[in-house]
Amino acid sequence: MTAIYELRNIIQRYSNRTVLDIPDLEIEKGAIVGITGPNGSGKSTLLRILAFLERPAAGEIFFNGEHVRDIDDRLRRKATLLLQESRLLKRTVFDNVAYGLNARGIRKDLTAKVHEALRMVGLDPGEFAVRSWFQLSGGESQRVALASRLVLEPEVLILDEPTASIDALSGMIITRAILKAREMLGTTIVIVSHDVDWAYGASDEVLSMFSGRIRSKAIENILHGPWQKNHDGTVCMHLDDGQAITAIAPPDGDLFTALLDPEDIILSMDNPGSTSARNTVKGTVVRMNLENGERSVLVTVSVGGFNMTSRVTTGSLSRLGLVPGKQVLMVFKATAFRWV
Amino acid sequence: MGYLVEGFKTAFVILFTGQEETFSAIFTTLKVSTFSITITLAVGIPLGFLLGYYSFPGKRVCRTVVDTLLALPTVVVGLLVYAFISRVGPLGSFGLLFSLKGVAIGQFVLGLPIVVSLTASATEQMENSVRLTLMTLGASPGQLAASSLWEGRYAVLAAAMTAYSRIISEVGVSMMIGGNIKWRTRTITTAIALETGKGQFAEGIALGIVLLGIAFTVNAVVSLARRRASS
Repeated sequence: MTAIYELRNIIQRYSNRTVLDIPDLEIEKGAIVGITGPNGSGKSTLLRILAFLERPAAGEIFFNGEHVRDIDDRLRRKATLLLQESRLLKRTVFDNVAYGLNARGIRKDLTAKVHEALRMVGLDPGEFAVRSWFQLSGGESQRVALASRLVLEPEVLILDEPTASIDALSGMIITRAILKAREMLGTTIVIVSHDVDWAYGASDEVLSMFSGRIRSKAIENILHGPWQKNHDGTVCMHLDDGQAITAIAPPDGDLFTALLDPEDIILSMDNPGSTSARNTVKGTVVRMNLENGERSVLVTVSVGGFNMTSRVTTGSLSRLGLVPGKQVLMVFKATAFRWV
Repeated sequence: MGYLVEGFKTAFVILFTGQEETFSAIFTTLKVSTFSITITLAVGIPLGFLLGYYSFPGKRVCRTVVDTLLALPTVVVGLLVYAFISRVGPLGSFGLLFSLKGVAIGQFVLGLPIVVSLTASATEQMENSVRLTLMTLGASPGQLAASSLWEGRYAVLAAAMTAYSRIISEVGVSMMIGGNIKWRTRTITTAIALETGKGQFAEGIALGIVLLGIAFTVNAVVSLARRRASS
């Protein structure tokens, strides 16, 4: 596989504040890359840079091996971004879907292409093509917005929470259409989604972002605290059910947010007895996601109203007999945390 | 009150019998205001869009000047244009004083700040998502500008109608520049002023009804445009 994007030392600043800092990132051609992270972690900024909507303050971008020096229409037309709440143009559905083709001067088979794109997102062209923008529900609007991009047959389709604020049926149709585009056209998909099933079920790779950086190429548990200082150099986060999580205090003593790799959490059905791990907390399995192309499963456990995720092998999963709703112990060391 | 009621009755008779002098003022008003608003929109919409869409040094000063000109009194516009087009003014050789062309110039000066300011506001208030959406669909800079303006068309239409309301109802420019010459430059507003001065309330009321009818139609269009713009 060859890289469609190569990002080197990318930095983006708004008003002298660094919002994105990516030393190195490669995205393979035809891959589906999921991006997760809390609000303000730099996801949308990264998407805008990948969609060539804004230039980074520093760093280099290579697209299909070509060093991107100037962003022009030719380049921007290779990647298209679907915003979370996409805005339709104040025109008919047909004119919305045809806009990008018209902008490119493509007139041949215009009607057939527009109708095909509408069918891909589950909208009957006969019924919907003539409708105005205000005659659509939220889910239908988002589907039209996706059709407007699919019709362009882009090399890269970038999606910012495409199913976040719409009904389940529209969400499912959009998901299918995205996967179909990749299958038919080999489109590279970059998607920000809070939908964990989406991220881990469909993505070839998942990037976890926090404070403008890619923290890992996997999900991480983010513990915002509040953390309380103990006398023995540790800090403690109290959970709603009375349990507590202990961590070694950060060197600078600045308690903000702790990250915990799912690899560092061991799942156990019984109390492991005396181990070097300081933390043993009890919770209920709420979700399990098979990682795409991996022989591992992400198990999300609700502990005192807080979700924590552990990565286990499929073998361990069947040995432990884990199913959603089952109680399980999570064991991890106080030294396993990284502070940001 | 009796003379007012009598005035209304006579006004309807004048309107329905098509009194020539009254209809001359109505047609003159429609002719000059249509010409003025056409030129005002042709110049004002692009200027307003540029002012609202692009950032440049001195933009804030420009906005302040344009917004201040919104409150320009019609008699001041009349005075300024008069100074320019009178025989001794720099444009005196064109013979524009006491002509409809001269009135149109004054109405253009009056309407331009309204169109520029409201179009700039409409463009500034346009959500950034419109621009982003057009860019993600591959619009070139020219297509981006044209499509952004088209997206704000209802707000721009409201700006046009507001300017037209001001132009059609002004009296200062028409009186000072046009001179209220019967059959030639007499408009609805100058005729109302004259007839009232002569105590001819019926003619004044008849013309007032026509003016109100035009204003009502214009405002209905503005209201419809605003509703469309916000949907």
